[in-house]
Amino acid sequence: MAAPHIPNLLCLRGGPRSRGGRGRGRGPSAADPDHEAPGGSARNRKDLNIQSTDTDAAVSRLSAVSLGYLHDPYASFFVSGTGTRRLPIINRGTYTRTTALDILINAFLTHNKGDQPQTKQIISLGAGTDTRYFRLRSQDKHHNLIYHEFDFPTVSETKRRTVLGNPLLSKLNQNEAVFPDPRNPPPDQAVEWGFMQSKDALSEITYCCHPLDLRQLPQSQASQPIRGLRTDLPTLIISECCLCYLEVDISRDVVKWFADRFPSLGIILYEPIGVDDSFGQMMVANLAARGITMPSLQAYKTLSDQTNRLEQLGFKDDGGQEADTVERIWEQWIPASEKERVDGLEGLDEVEEWQMLARHYAVVWGWRGKVGWHGWGGLRKTPPAAYTCIK
Amino acid sequence: MSDLDRAIAQLRACRPIPEAQVRELCHKARELLIEEGNVVTVTAPVTICGDIHGQFHDLMELFRVGGDVPDTNYLFMGDFVDRGFYSLESFLLLLCLKVRYPDRMTLIRGNHESRQITTVYGFYDECLRKYGSANVWRYCCEVFDYLALGAIVLGASSTLEPSKQKVTASSNSLTSTQEFLDPDIEIEVLSSDGGIVKRFPRQKTVKTVGGAKSSSPAKTGAPGTGASGSSGGSVGNPGGAVLCVHGGLSPLIDTVDKIRLLDRKQEVPHEGAMCDLLWSDPDEIDGWGLSPRGAGFLFGADIVKVFNHANDLSLIARAHQLVMEGFKEMFDASIVTVWSAPNYCYRCGNVAAILELGEDGSGEGIISRSNGEVNRSDGGMAGLLKEKEKVLLSGPARRYRVFQAAPQDSRGMPAKKPVADYFL
Repeated sequence: MAAPHIPNLLCLRGGPRSRGGRGRGRGPSAADPDHEAPGGSARNRKDLNIQSTDTDAAVSRLSAVSLGYLHDPYASFFVSGTGTRRLPIINRGTYTRTTALDILINAFLTHNKGDQPQTKQIISLGAGTDTRYFRLRSQDKHHNLIYHEFDFPTVSETKRRTVLGNPLLSKLNQNEAVFPDPRNPPPDQAVEWGFMQSKDALSEITYCCHPLDLRQLPQSQASQPIRGLRTDLPTLIISECCLCYLEVDISRDVVKWFADRFPSLGIILYEPIGVDDSFGQMMVANLAARGITMPSLQAYKTLSDQTNRLEQLGFKDDGGQEADTVERIWEQWIPASEKERVDGLEGLDEVEEWQMLARHYAVVWGWRGKVGWHGWGGLRKTPPAAYTCIK
Repeated sequence: MSDLDRAIAQLRACRPIPEAQVRELCHKARELLIEEGNVVTVTAPVTICGDIHGQFHDLMELFRVGGDVPDTNYLFMGDFVDRGFYSLESFLLLLCLKVRYPDRMTLIRGNHESRQITTVYGFYDECLRKYGSANVWRYCCEVFDYLALGAIVLGASSTLEPSKQKVTASSNSLTSTQEFLDPDIEIEVLSSDGGIVKRFPRQKTVKTVGGAKSSSPAKTGAPGTGASGSSGGSVGNPGGAVLCVHGGLSPLIDTVDKIRLLDRKQEVPHEGAMCDLLWSDPDEIDGWGLSPRGAGFLFGADIVKVFNHANDLSLIARAHQLVMEGFKEMFDASIVTVWSAPNYCYRCGNVAAILELGEDGSGEGIISRSNGEVNRSDGGMAGLLKEKEKVLLSGPARRYRVFQAAPQDSRGMPAKKPVADYFL
């Protein structure tokens, strides 16, 4: 019953093929991401590919916000144009990922009633256009908080221009100021910028973006202290799809760099797992077609690989480590009423696809030290009952 | 070459046809579909296909593997549109083929053939992008309202004819042994080049426990009608009938005839029997359950067995759910999911399958019937149930052809570089 006149395209696969025949009409750099493009090294191109993933995240966030999944008045400022509507499973995933991190971060920032407020610190790696700091400000959760972001210099500079050019983002209190002074823009673009607060004639950094290629962090010496970073505070590192792009040993050295300096340290990783099944393999192939590799996928294939990773980085004695898939977080962490609200926004028909997609993303968290982590242990076994929707 | 043939040729090259032609095509299609009952009767041989979802290049791969139209009869169980980049070309091609070869193409409605769903899942945006207005989307939606809700396949053989496709071009010996296919083979799984992946013999412990095998002459009505005076399948058609529906069963539907009673010519409702047929899923539960999709129900093996029994069905074929291996038989092979969109959404890494049902060679099995007749029999059902509980009709012989996604950037068709969304 075969139709022999329809050519079998599959026989074109795999075998020898002329490089010129592939990717008609496209430049060689599109067909082969590693190909050295004129005027830029392969590494530069790879870096740009990874930076482009931030645009994906920003567009996905705006899609989820526009449709009512998340509340984020700042999402639109970081997307050029009106954005693209994502499919319901992507919106639900963006919602779940964001909410999982909200829950963990809120638990970290919460004080026990009656306790003297303890200043805490968050370090967001590869933050890109993330709006979390501004959302925390809008919820009045930025007091007693020092917030750092690390990203490539070009990304950091773009964000500086967006934030300073937008009155809603750069609206500060009377005792706050932008640094460096926007009236005297720095000649060198690779400069730290952020917000400072003056208190009792002392000024203190509260928000700081560091233009830094993270891969250089492990080599940076104590002689170059990172501005505003305080090793004496309970500190939370966030890596939302950031460390996964680094070579495994470099990403380990980055976390170790912090672990060696901060006695009270927590970390949240959000990244894909499950490379061994066909969905995972297709993910690797699709990302490779965009010139993106994720070394973490090969090294940490399961949730237990991920928790072992944190254990080996020292998140064990006086602490612990846990991990869950986005699928399970949706099932277990989001209360029924909230699920009903979210489901009602668009309806989600693609149940099997959702489960498969969401099974391939993990939220992993580890902690060490005494202060700030009381809400973190057992979160997996006992999901947050008193979770309130982050409005 | 007629206009229609020209349109087919153009669509086969994955190029949209002008708006005026779409309008005319949709008009003709509606005239044709309005004559079909809610449950179309199809006689074997037929190749049953699941979701396509706008994956045009993979639809062409399906035709390459399963045979071209009109050489092969096809039954597509809905979800032609949404998700993929070529919903428009895929649906219009299938519709053209339906108009051109009405008896060889059967299209039934999936839950994505709906105004509401297509505005969320891509087809609406695609029409807007390709035509600059929503007219074509509107024409297509009007066709959706006329698509049948199900089909009954009659006269499917309980043994497999040798595959007409050569196993390999070079191995003559293998090809010739195919001529003497073991009559006990119930299921055969073939790869896209026709190579045998697996074969399953029919279980010797026959499922028809009640002794009413093919020798029983008492059968009076056609399978799938509930019109039999006794159970056990018709003469020469021991396999019973196969019900094809996109999603599954409904708690409001206990006989196929009740499907025939529905008023289908409308947008898919949010609830009710018509909604359930397009949205429900089988699941490892007892009885009925709530669906995580927010529409339709989950139904267990007991529901399928009672339904198949009451309607003299040997098998329900349905689509609707992604299955990584392309097909999945459940509940002692009383229901099968067929999924025909390989590497779904350019992301899932799954293979696809089509299900071939052969023609019953005895020539006695085919009982012609007209569409739309209702209430042929519902008396005495309660009394029959006890007797029927003992009997399960054995399924038709099933040949699954499994195939993979076609590369996008060849075959001289316009191809958008597939970009699958991930969380990055």
